[in-house]
Amino acid sequence: MQQRPLARADLITGLVLTALGAVTAFESYRMPRLEERSIDPWTAPGIVPGSLGIIIFVLGAALALRSVAAGAFTATFEAEDDPAEARAGRFRFWLCMALCLIYAVGLVGHAPFWLATLLFVFSFIVAFEWKSDDSPRSRGVKLALAAAIAVATAGFVPFLFETLFLVRLP
Amino acid sequence: MLDGLATFGAAFAVFANFTTLFNVAWATLIGIVIGALPGLTATMAVALLTTLTYRMVPEQAILVLIAVYVGAIYGGSRSAILLNIPGTPANAATTLDGFPLAKQGLAGEAMGLATSASVLGTIIGVLFLAALAPMLAEFALSFGSYEFFWLAIFGIVIAGQMTSFEDALKGWIIGFLGLLVAMVGQEGIHAEPRFSYGNSDLAGGIALIPALVGAFGFAEVLSVMKERAAEMAARTVDRVVPGLADLWRYKRTIGRSGLIGTIVGIIPGVGEDIGAWVSYGAARRASKEADQFGKGSREGLIAAETGNNAAIPGALIPALTLAVPGSAPAAVLLAAMFIHGIRPGPLIMIEAPEFVYQVVWMVLLATVAMGVFGLALTRPLLTVLRVPRERLMPVVFVLCVIGPYAISQRLFDVYVMLFFGVVGFILREMKYPMAPLVLGIILGDILDKNLRRALVLSDGDLTPFFTRPVSAVLWVTTALIILFALPPVRHATARMMGWNKSA
Repeated sequence: MQQRPLARADLITGLVLTALGAVTAFESYRMPRLEERSIDPWTAPGIVPGSLGIIIFVLGAALALRSVAAGAFTATFEAEDDPAEARAGRFRFWLCMALCLIYAVGLVGHAPFWLATLLFVFSFIVAFEWKSDDSPRSRGVKLALAAAIAVATAGFVPFLFETLFLVRLP
Repeated sequence: MLDGLATFGAAFAVFANFTTLFNVAWATLIGIVIGALPGLTATMAVALLTTLTYRMVPEQAILVLIAVYVGAIYGGSRSAILLNIPGTPANAATTLDGFPLAKQGLAGEAMGLATSASVLGTIIGVLFLAALAPMLAEFALSFGSYEFFWLAIFGIVIAGQMTSFEDALKGWIIGFLGLLVAMVGQEGIHAEPRFSYGNSDLAGGIALIPALVGAFGFAEVLSVMKERAAEMAARTVDRVVPGLADLWRYKRTIGRSGLIGTIVGIIPGVGEDIGAWVSYGAARRASKEADQFGKGSREGLIAAETGNNAAIPGALIPALTLAVPGSAPAAVLLAAMFIHGIRPGPLIMIEAPEFVYQVVWMVLLATVAMGVFGLALTRPLLTVLRVPRERLMPVVFVLCVIGPYAISQRLFDVYVMLFFGVVGFILREMKYPMAPLVLGIILGDILDKNLRRALVLSDGDLTPFFTRPVSAVLWVTTALIILFALPPVRHATARMMGWNKSA
């Protein structure tokens, strides 16, 4: 049975896909036909992506229409089973996303790889394991463990790739 | 036939050395560990290991990847039984009876049965691999551009339908998006860049490995961190080595599930997870103790674990002979073969027949290692499941970043990984299957070149697309799959056949 909040997400996805299909078909139509190279017109580069654009347009429209029939416009969000856990889940997701993006986009390529990795692994573990009611001793153990894993990763991964596989790291 | 046996025997010579033993042992063990950890899938394991093995000699590199693949699909049964969370999607059906058995204090027996069933499933599948691959390759020699075009469309349509059975539309959408992704970059006939807008990185195209590491690695890291942490059902285990009488009692189930798993594996893009579900469903229908299914049935557990492992060699059959992967991990394996200069496809039995038999040996060696580790290392593997995700996931993400970079040495691939990770996560939350995306990226090039070549051959005439015998079989099957997935047709068929909703 289609759930209404999912129907709303399907409607949005359907519209995005319809637009993507249309833009793809249009861009494929604009692609060079390479007449100056006297190629067979049936091998023009835009034929296949153009056809795929049309197919995605049709599939997107079908998804959007189906979601409307399933009640996308009258969608109401049902109460979550466990609102506190749902909130905690969302927090964990955004924290994870932020840390990963800071590492992959902000640090890798801009700082030495070992340092970027050390900082990332340490902050990730600490950020997720930190509890405000931890005793100083248990907090110390957690910090020491996080530091040990971070040092091991920052040491082993560059060793593996640079020394054994002869890959220059970013 | 005798030539085949001689080549099969000669193929073993490549692996009769210490390096092979060493590589099979560590790779299978890593596969089992990765598979056992919830959130780390076989596809991701093979993709990450591809980046770690690309400097090895081709035979050893592919051996490592196959061992990881076999190990991971089996390893997933551990968390399915102990945590009620499938370690990989392939073990979802295993949770239904594995976890109830663990709760009854029979975790050790359940793990032992899962191990034996996985070993037997892989062996059944590998027999079909050895027998069918040469025949299929010979048959595929008669394929022309028309047939390869339809094969690509058929692959997307059937993978979309079978991986998203309740909602085939989403499976097709994701499959065609995969084909579209493959259109980015220089096309294969005139080297004309498409959708690159002057960007030299985009002109190089979207490589499969970064996209997969994103969709199956980063997306999984996000999912795992979002979910609630799992609790283990059993902290101690009983007898692990299964009784032969138990296995003999379920010989029909094992044989049937092995066959079903292999056939499902052969279907493009439809892999171990569907193999397990279909085998499980068939076992329940045929069982005398059907009421026990879902409550801790040994037969159900055996069916699921035989079915998913049999799908591994099954998925390798079309990958080797048609260059069309039977599952998502097989797609990565196919990409790895190309990286190592091996060219799977219809010509493989002419150009490199020994390689097909080497693959048979690789699967067999990995199966032996899987069986030994599975039975001998039960208790140490329990420790692995106790590693908190907060300490594991950052290390996994570091590998997700550096793996794709190591192959091409360009940061662009890291950004591709991130993009596919975020998009993959969102699509997964909206119930889109990921396997057709992988298949689409692989089949894009085949579709693109063969449609245009076929149009040139026929000078734009569409008749041969529909009248050539193999083409006709493929397009009629494709059309029927689409037709029967349409809700009005499904409902009408169900009414006519007298099926009720619960059936």
